[in-house]
Amino acid sequence: MSINPALSLAEYLERLPGTTFKKLYQQPSTTFAIFRRMLPHLAKTFVMRMLFLPHPMTLADLDAWVKPEAKRKKDQSLSILRSLHIVQISAPSKEKPQEIQLMSNFKKSLRLALTGGGNHNSFGVPSSLMVPPEIDLPFLDRYARKKWEDVLHFVVSSVGYKSSLGEGSGPNKGVKELLIAGQLVDRRPNGSLGITQAGFTFLLQEANAQVWTLLLLWLEVLGNNKSSGLDPVDMLSFLFMLASLELGRAYDTNALTEERRNMLPSLVDFGLIYIPQHKRSMFFPTRLATTLTSGGNSLRTISEGVAAATQSAQTAQQSLGLLGGGGTGEQAGSVVIETNYRLYAYTQSALQIAVLALFAKLNMRFPDMVAGRLSRASIRQAINFGITADQIISYLSAHAHEQMHRTAALTNKPVLPPTVVDQIRLWQLENERMKTTSGFLFRDFTDDKDYLDTARFSEEIGVLVWRNDNTRMFFANKHEQIKDFLKTRKRAE
Amino acid sequence: MPRAIRGVLIECDPSIKSIIVNIDSVNHDFIIEDLDEERVVVKENMVQLLKQKLEDRLKENLPPVDESGSE
Repeated sequence: MSINPALSLAEYLERLPGTTFKKLYQQPSTTFAIFRRMLPHLAKTFVMRMLFLPHPMTLADLDAWVKPEAKRKKDQSLSILRSLHIVQISAPSKEKPQEIQLMSNFKKSLRLALTGGGNHNSFGVPSSLMVPPEIDLPFLDRYARKKWEDVLHFVVSSVGYKSSLGEGSGPNKGVKELLIAGQLVDRRPNGSLGITQAGFTFLLQEANAQVWTLLLLWLEVLGNNKSSGLDPVDMLSFLFMLASLELGRAYDTNALTEERRNMLPSLVDFGLIYIPQHKRSMFFPTRLATTLTSGGNSLRTISEGVAAATQSAQTAQQSLGLLGGGGTGEQAGSVVIETNYRLYAYTQSALQIAVLALFAKLNMRFPDMVAGRLSRASIRQAINFGITADQIISYLSAHAHEQMHRTAALTNKPVLPPTVVDQIRLWQLENERMKTTSGFLFRDFTDDKDYLDTARFSEEIGVLVWRNDNTRMFFANKHEQIKDFLKTRKRAE
Repeated sequence: MPRAIRGVLIECDPSIKSIIVNIDSVNHDFIIEDLDEERVVVKENMVQLLKQKLEDRLKENLPPVDESGSE
């Protein structure tokens, strides 16, 4: 079974056909979740302004809302709104100016979501049964963390450091197969399991993004497998619904359709929901489920480089929040790194040790501490796995020991030794000989104007990577919208 | 009529690029379009192989720096 490894939610949604969106937008919870999670601020503003308009408005009016210098941002927002099938823009013609309006399904559902009303039940039906007293927020958090750590353990367990877990433990068989199918781990010729490049990228992501990666893999596997009888669109709706539920509250399983009830066991395996042993008719969403649509990192794909760099630091902090903090005893600040590249981590967490083993050569282990060293070879290994120097640095700074912070504050120096930070970057430069971007080369334009217009269009929607005006060629990382653009141009001629 | 060709854009130093061109010159099965001094477009399915060949080439020519420092 081969499927695309580790898609982001945005990429997954972009590949869905328009009819799927129509179905998705029938559910107010889904509509609301997509609005909340997938749109940049400007696009949200557009949607809110258009939501209660009775008639389509002209594009020229929309232009008047935006300052001329923000044209690029506006075009990107519109391009996202169109790719998610949220707005409809009429084709350019001579008689009528171009008009824009929200898709009717989307408009109706978002109105319902915001104003309430209707009997769509898309925000879940609370269970009327007595809630067992032992199920409280800390219990659910512990449960979700344990389940999720099992998954992460399974992904890292193959690297350098063997985790102390036995063979029998770890995630359910179905989850393991899913991770293999998604190429986060793969079977080595000798029968053992090994982590892949995609697996590393997965590991260093923020918890929320990790959950989505896994869920999308799941959707894709089940979608390919027709006999499962599950409809990916309905499943996706269900996930968005889960995201809108309230943490710590019990919901009624009987109010769900049968297909959705069949999804519950898998969701229990991922730790997204909890079903009490003796009360099978209620389920509790965990924090993993209820935070699915929060977090602004979904927009990373279009964010500029600077924003991504600042975000990556925050990301490390956030993932730390969920991974650390109790459970397996991983403390927030546990790593000491010295100017001579020696590294000490006061931790017992097999997970953290395994992560450190990705980019450091660990050579001593004590009951509550490991010691090792960063070296050219260890960084090189990490980079071969697809980890970047910045990821390593932000991991180290997010996990720096309290003592590092104290010394830094006293001597007024950065937390991580600058020599080490620079050297990690230099090692990366040395190993990373080329930068690759997949996409499409556009060439053979008939005339200059044709070329210039198309290149400008792709620059405006933010897919242009490289252009050369002399040879009339450019390289873009996506082609769908450019194709549409070329088609409409041709028709206009 | 403009054409869109699927591929992978590789950006690198001129020295690395010349090695890529050299690797390609054996069978001409990597490069789709040679763009300029620092860029080439390569077939998507050949990128892994190209990376590996490049690595081998570099190993031949530059012996890896010895690890200094004690454990």
